[in-house]
Amino acid sequence: MGDKGENAGGCTMNNNGNQNQDELILAQQRQIEKEISESVPLVGDLEPVTSLDKEYSTDNVYLEKVKDLASKYKHIRRTRPDGNCFFRAFSYANIERLLESQNEFNEFYQVAESSKAILVDLGFPQFTVEDFYDTYMEVLKRLRDIDNKEDAKRELHTIFNEQGYSDYMVVYLRLLTSGQLQKDQDFYSCFIEGDRTITDFCHQEVEPMYKESDHIHIMAACAAINAGVRVVYMDRGTGKNCTEHDIPEGRTPTVHLLYRPGHYDILYPR
Amino acid sequence: MAGMSPSERRLQKELMSLVKEPPPGVSVDPDIAERNLLHWIIDIRGAAGTLYEGERFQLQFKFSNKYPFDSPEVTFVGQNIPVHPHVYSNGHICLSILTDDWSPALSVQSVCLSIMSMLSSCKEKQRPPDNAFYVKTCNKNPKKTKWWYHDDSV
Repeated sequence: MGDKGENAGGCTMNNNGNQNQDELILAQQRQIEKEISESVPLVGDLEPVTSLDKEYSTDNVYLEKVKDLASKYKHIRRTRPDGNCFFRAFSYANIERLLESQNEFNEFYQVAESSKAILVDLGFPQFTVEDFYDTYMEVLKRLRDIDNKEDAKRELHTIFNEQGYSDYMVVYLRLLTSGQLQKDQDFYSCFIEGDRTITDFCHQEVEPMYKESDHIHIMAACAAINAGVRVVYMDRGTGKNCTEHDIPEGRTPTVHLLYRPGHYDILYPR
Repeated sequence: MAGMSPSERRLQKELMSLVKEPPPGVSVDPDIAERNLLHWIIDIRGAAGTLYEGERFQLQFKFSNKYPFDSPEVTFVGQNIPVHPHVYSNGHICLSILTDDWSPALSVQSVCLSIMSMLSSCKEKQRPPDNAFYVKTCNKNPKKTKWWYHDDSV
């Protein structure tokens, strides 16, 4: 033995001698994923924050926290819980905000334009980066060319609910995030547990679709597109209030996200 | 390229680039792929100075209409299946980028290169330890196997 393929560990099937079990598990997973995706839009409409009450009608810990949340936030926009929710929510909310200010949008557009070269310099394959970059820029350009702000927002909403476009936007932000992690790996490597390198981490936890996001993803994504985000944590923890974290620390957040264990939605301040 | 789905458009681009500038040791049969963009056969040659020098292998790529968000189904086919600790005798390959670690930033070309590198780094030709059992019981589609990649010592 002694062989060590570059991208593969050694191989055995993950089972106790029962292949059918695997198939059943995978089939069930796919069924659950399908049900979720059919019931929740990729990015939903604005809803009042108090609509969360329905989910927790008998849960006082959460109901108190919804009350706290509603005192600071007027609306919530739900996203599909498919493991891409952070990237989708962040990308959407950031662009939606930028549509309010032509100057800021143009600045963002310029930074985005130069991002392909940066990724290719970091060693990302030109061919695939280009594929995602082109679509990303196409979307930004389309939005830039709409004069009326409200029309542009409607277009953004339509684009983010078309799976083809929406997933391209998610992938490109994943790539930008991965690029940021690799560019500043001295800084980010201390947040990674175990003996994984930043590059391994990016290949395994950032670039693949459906992989969920952690604090480190958020830090890098914020740095990559030069935005600040406030994450409001709502869980079963003690206290009546939700906990807030600004990333990066000290920066005025322009995007607000609600985090409930395993999922991000977009919030709109009062 | 009007009328093509996004996955077909991407595959068409990948095919053209692979035909025009194939990496060393890799060649694609454009006729088979042109006939059905979702099904490719790729020839690879064992690299010089490795255990597979001079050997020729065929890889089959099957794509779904969700490519590149879904990984391609990749297996060795034909008469010569490489004897390798990560390759089952039915052609199934245990390589994490083909399932768990697949990313849309990867491509047919990067999969070929990873497989070449996996072959090149082999020190001793042998089948995976559970070959006989796996080949008897597995699904035809290797993506339906829940692989277990943690064992780096094999």
